[in-house]
Amino acid sequence: MSDLKTTKLHTYHTSKNAKFINFAGWSMPFSYEGTLLEHNRVRQTSGFFDVSHMGRLILDYHQIKEINSLICSELKSLNNTKALYTVFSSDEGNALDDVIFWKFQDELVLICNASNTEKIKNHLLEHNIYFQDVTLSTSLIAVQGLNAIELLSTTFDIPDKFSTKKMSHFSYARTGYTGEDGIEIMVDNENVEELLRLLESLEILPCGLGSRDTLRLEASLPLYGFELSEKISPVEAGLKWTITNENDYLGKKVHDQQLLTGNHKVLKKFILNVKNIARTDTLCSAGEINGVVTSGNISPVLGHPIGFALFETKPDTDLAVFDIRGNLIEGKLLNKRFLS
Amino acid sequence: MSDIKYLKTHEWYIIEDNVITVGISDFAQGELGDIVYVSLPEVGKEFKKGESLVEVEATKTVAEAYAPMDCVVTEVNSNLDTEPELINIDPVVSGWMIKAEIINLDDSGMTYLEYESFIS
Repeated sequence: MSDLKTTKLHTYHTSKNAKFINFAGWSMPFSYEGTLLEHNRVRQTSGFFDVSHMGRLILDYHQIKEINSLICSELKSLNNTKALYTVFSSDEGNALDDVIFWKFQDELVLICNASNTEKIKNHLLEHNIYFQDVTLSTSLIAVQGLNAIELLSTTFDIPDKFSTKKMSHFSYARTGYTGEDGIEIMVDNENVEELLRLLESLEILPCGLGSRDTLRLEASLPLYGFELSEKISPVEAGLKWTITNENDYLGKKVHDQQLLTGNHKVLKKFILNVKNIARTDTLCSAGEINGVVTSGNISPVLGHPIGFALFETKPDTDLAVFDIRGNLIEGKLLNKRFLS
Repeated sequence: MSDIKYLKTHEWYIIEDNVITVGISDFAQGELGDIVYVSLPEVGKEFKKGESLVEVEATKTVAEAYAPMDCVVTEVNSNLDTEPELINIDPVVSGWMIKAEIINLDDSGMTYLEYESFIS
């Protein structure tokens, strides 16, 4: 008997012939019809992802100052109805988790990685911040794709990008993790079937976590546990843009120091001109600077292997060599995003 | 032509005269997911039983197919260079990987029924 958690839509996933993977203690759909097909579906039309394994905590608005002291971005002065991507950092400046906040006028919704939900809950409690954990009583559905907003606008009042809406049984934000436009909807479990029927009526089909990973990588987005971890700071992961909190927050001293001196690890994007994929933990070097691949996969749009590599310090060349199972493969380091 | 046989490492092989044809099983391709690249050996290269014959890159992971017995590669399925997805679509017919001349016959693979019970 498996003790993996399942989402409210598990029976639906099974009925759609999903292949499941164990992800952070959850049995989640990896793919239904194939990762590449689902990847291209989102790039060319639209798809939806059940991401109900992600942690969802409701926080009291009145604790916003305390919450602000644990994250590297400025949440306190952000307008109500906005969504914020930010990083909880440790005293050492490293990432405890990267999360999304939805800021409503009466409460805050915190969406964290499934693998970090318990850690973040403990972290909040250690700082006397209280919350209601709604991970198991709600579902989280990400609808993403080239025409997602067009399709959804018949039913949903579409907010501006990185803004939220709150209805009686559900709330949503115009955010995502694929590089395409769309909304992420948090809905009470009793109402998720209704949302499912709506998506089906719009011919928006399910996509698995396999394509969610290739989509986020191609969209140059980091994944916790790979590009971010308790050994990697947001400065090192190329997330300087999230550091907008000018008040004192946990880890600020380290971030300030890293920004001032530039003396820190550096995450770079790379592309290879061969077909071999440089996967996680592949060693690489750029000139004299050593690095290690954090994520690597094929880019279905570019037709080449791409990825992120973390270097000891900033490389002074854009040529890198990857040791792919004993074969030394040249690759190019990129400053811009994979997809323009 | 012999019956199709399977290895615990999820390759299939068929022996015809002194030549084996090798690929990966339907179960293996299903586990790997979308195959995006296959690194095939050079014709003429000799392999010992259990040596890595082919590298299969999928979106999920990379896997190797091993030589079922000592052999010398005589032909590779060059269609896989441009259509690696043939292994996903049809792993046992159009998704074959290599043909090789047998050096030491070792027909100890599992039958289809044995393999089916092995993977279940």
